[in-house]
Amino acid sequence: MSAPTGERPRRPSPVASARPQRRPRKPPPQPFTLLGLVGLAAFTLVTAWDWVLGIGFNPIALPGELADSNPAMVEGLFNITDADWRADYAELLRTHFTDPDSPWLLSLDSRIGSGLVETVQIAVLATLVGAAVSLPLAVLNSRLGAPNRTTHAVIKTLNNINRAIPDVIWAALFVVLVSVGALPGILALTMFTIGVVVKLTSDVVDGVDLGPVEAARAAGASHAAAMRTALVPQILPSFASFSLYAFELNLRGAAVLGFVGAGGIGQAMNYYWSQLDFEAVSVIIFVYLVLVVIVEQVSISVRRRLV
Amino acid sequence: MTETRSRPARSRLAEQVRPERPFARFRWTVTLVLTALLVWSSATVDASWGRLTEAPGRAVGFAQTLVANASLEPLGVALEAMWESIAIAWIATLIGAVCSFPLVFLAAGNLTRGRVKQPVRQLLNVFRAVPEIVLAIALIPFLGLGPVTGAVAMGISSIGTLGKLSAEIVESIDRGPLEAVEASGGGRLTRLRWAVLPQAMPEIAAFWLYRFEINIRVSAVLGVIGIGGIGGFIAQAVERNVFERIGLGLVVVILATMLVDAISSRLRRRLIEGPSPAAQARRERASVAGAEHEEDPE
Amino acid sequence: MIQFESAEVTYPGGVHALQGVDLTIDDGELIVVVGLSGAGKSTLIRAINGLVPLTGGQVTVGERTLPGLGRRELRELRAEVGMIFQAFNLVHRTTVLSNVLMGRLHHVPSWRSLSGLYSPEDREIAMQALELVEVVEKAYVRAGNLSGGQQQRVGIARALAQQPRVLLADEPVASLDPPTSHVVMRYLQQINRELGITTLINLHFLDLARTYADRVIGLREGRLVYDGPAADADEAVFEEIYGRSLTADDVLEAQGGL
Ligand SMILES: Nc1ncnc2c1ncn2[C@@H]1O[C@H](COP(=O)(O)OP(=O)(O)O)[C@@H](O)[C@H]1O
Ligand SMILES: [Mg+2]
Repeated sequence: MSAPTGERPRRPSPVASARPQRRPRKPPPQPFTLLGLVGLAAFTLVTAWDWVLGIGFNPIALPGELADSNPAMVEGLFNITDADWRADYAELLRTHFTDPDSPWLLSLDSRIGSGLVETVQIAVLATLVGAAVSLPLAVLNSRLGAPNRTTHAVIKTLNNINRAIPDVIWAALFVVLVSVGALPGILALTMFTIGVVVKLTSDVVDGVDLGPVEAARAAGASHAAAMRTALVPQILPSFASFSLYAFELNLRGAAVLGFVGAGGIGQAMNYYWSQLDFEAVSVIIFVYLVLVVIVEQVSISVRRRLV
Repeated sequence: MTETRSRPARSRLAEQVRPERPFARFRWTVTLVLTALLVWSSATVDASWGRLTEAPGRAVGFAQTLVANASLEPLGVALEAMWESIAIAWIATLIGAVCSFPLVFLAAGNLTRGRVKQPVRQLLNVFRAVPEIVLAIALIPFLGLGPVTGAVAMGISSIGTLGKLSAEIVESIDRGPLEAVEASGGGRLTRLRWAVLPQAMPEIAAFWLYRFEINIRVSAVLGVIGIGGIGGFIAQAVERNVFERIGLGLVVVILATMLVDAISSRLRRRLIEGPSPAAQARRERASVAGAEHEEDPE
Repeated sequence: MIQFESAEVTYPGGVHALQGVDLTIDDGELIVVVGLSGAGKSTLIRAINGLVPLTGGQVTVGERTLPGLGRRELRELRAEVGMIFQAFNLVHRTTVLSNVLMGRLHHVPSWRSLSGLYSPEDREIAMQALELVEVVEKAYVRAGNLSGGQQQRVGIARALAQQPRVLLADEPVASLDPPTSHVVMRYLQQINRELGITTLINLHFLDLARTYADRVIGLREGRLVYDGPAADADEAVFEEIYGRSLTADDVLEAQGGL
């Protein structure tokens, strides 16, 4: 982190007028750096080693393990190196895109088709509802926007708890409360959206221009009115961008919900996986991936224009 | 008073033309599109909205059951599962950091030409685009179902995000030092070592830590497909109504995640802002101790 | 009438920004407050609308006396006192009209301010305020797209939309070039004359102070060191206020020649 010092000549300064100066000793290395490096190395060894506290991750053996695969599964999922398989797969995709009698066709009421549509619906609803709730919460979650310290502390703690609960766990809990289907998925991703958008947006609040807020206060505005007119317009583009970002994340997150009964494409994935129908899983992965990539591209280009 | 003020005498007021209120096309478009999406989704989605009204009552009941069944007995298993999630996340972050690092300098526009940059960026984008769960499923035939599968899947994903964001950090560095090293005859590696890394490394490292925080959540999510860790622990407990495990699992995952977040965000701040002024002053005092002459102020 | 009685402001850091200030301002006066940077001009002005709390003494504005106002009364006071800022303090991303409507915030019910659906009456008041400073044709333009002088006129319009009894201007021309400074000062003077609004303006330039003020108040290190008609405030007086001989930086006209 220090600038290059280079070799200094060991002779007395050629500039006669320079006053005599004492060179400082090189400071000892930063304890933070040293401790940090040792700590991280130890943590890595503990977590990577194959023992009670580690997951047994061996980067040297990994290529060997990758090569030693389960042929039946690979056959089904993707045997991309095999030209015949590729041709079969293309044919498979083609028929499933076009053949109305296929059981897991992309017709919208097939298991896969409806799963995909439901995934999009879950993501859309969770993003809209979550974002709408997030805007006022984000204002309250900032030092500037909270009417008092207690509100700030309470909102912050609640949102930290919310963010600490992974979205599938939210989904599992909501399945208990409202039973299986798309509803628990929507609720779970709404919580997730709130966590992401509130956190990111309230970080932006601390960087806004305080002048307009002062002007609103000087005009006798109430706290809420000052925030609405002087603060919200300033954070709106970031908020919109974060909401779109949350939508991308929700679309990805929605795939996993089905594994706990909370609807979406994950349900179909889970079903065919349990049937050992790897080809079906493969088709799901393929179409879902296309959907994710398209939505992401659109979202990214919109976001770039926003901020 | 109001009357006199809203009726100024000057004739210049008469000459001004008030503009028409323009049609807010952007605002209307956004409103319409969002409303349409909302209506379409909520009307066609297969969700039993009526159940929402029962949810609060059920939530209270569920919470009471959790409290009634509260027990520290499964603490050992829960902690073990949580630790596994953390370990998976850490290994994944390391994979992402180590593999993305060399790519960063190829993907940064101020260090390489577009011919190199574009394909590397595309590669990173591919890694980033594939959802972790898809990667994990795709890896199962090779690695089986276990923590290593999760770590590798999340690691690949992390390569994408870390690579892209680190490259953006490198692109935002100050050009001055780059030119200075070049002007003193430094080559490519010299430039990296003395001009790029000193500027970008703290932020990149901070970003690794941030990714670690995210990966802890992802590893919990992947738990439900069976890679292990706290996610699977809680999901199974919910499925089988093992209430003491649900309650304790939630407590453990919340506390552990918040703890790791707190530590990590402090480390990140320390990385980006450097040592506290007090600590810095102490070190400097130690290093010039004994010097009779003060250092030149300039 | 505005009345300072032994007003004191000590900031948390221990700076005595205002010390024992006694001052009476009659309705309709145009007062320019001068003093070096750090003399306490902003503090004096902000003490009037309670943006800076007093730590001693009191300030009476009309029938209200600071300190000791409840939150509600303080907001009522602020609604009657318009403020103009050096940095304009506009929301750049919204329209000029929305910015001016901020001056109505105290008068509109919260459902209107929160939804942005202001009544036609409030819009009319805002439009008239814009006409007073002759920027009404920019009403639907983004405030950030205006020039500095135009932005300050919008700032004035926002204060006028409050229909205030008092206008406070904290270095309103410090971010503007000399010709624009005169334009803005002339608007403030006209508003004072035509609408009879008591006006306090912080300034640094002595020629501007002498040209536009009825009465000049000099501050040095938080104390009132001069209070008299603008006509009497000659260079000797300014040297007394500043505690040093005058330089080109103290005269606006000299700036243009640089
Ligand atoms: N918020 C504040 N906290 C602490 N000290 C302040 C604050 N605002 C102003 N001061 C100090 O009070 C003194 C007067 O400030 P100010 O009223 O802004 O002077 P002026 O407007 O004449 O430049 C200065 O010494 C300034 O540093
Ligand atoms: Mg000032």
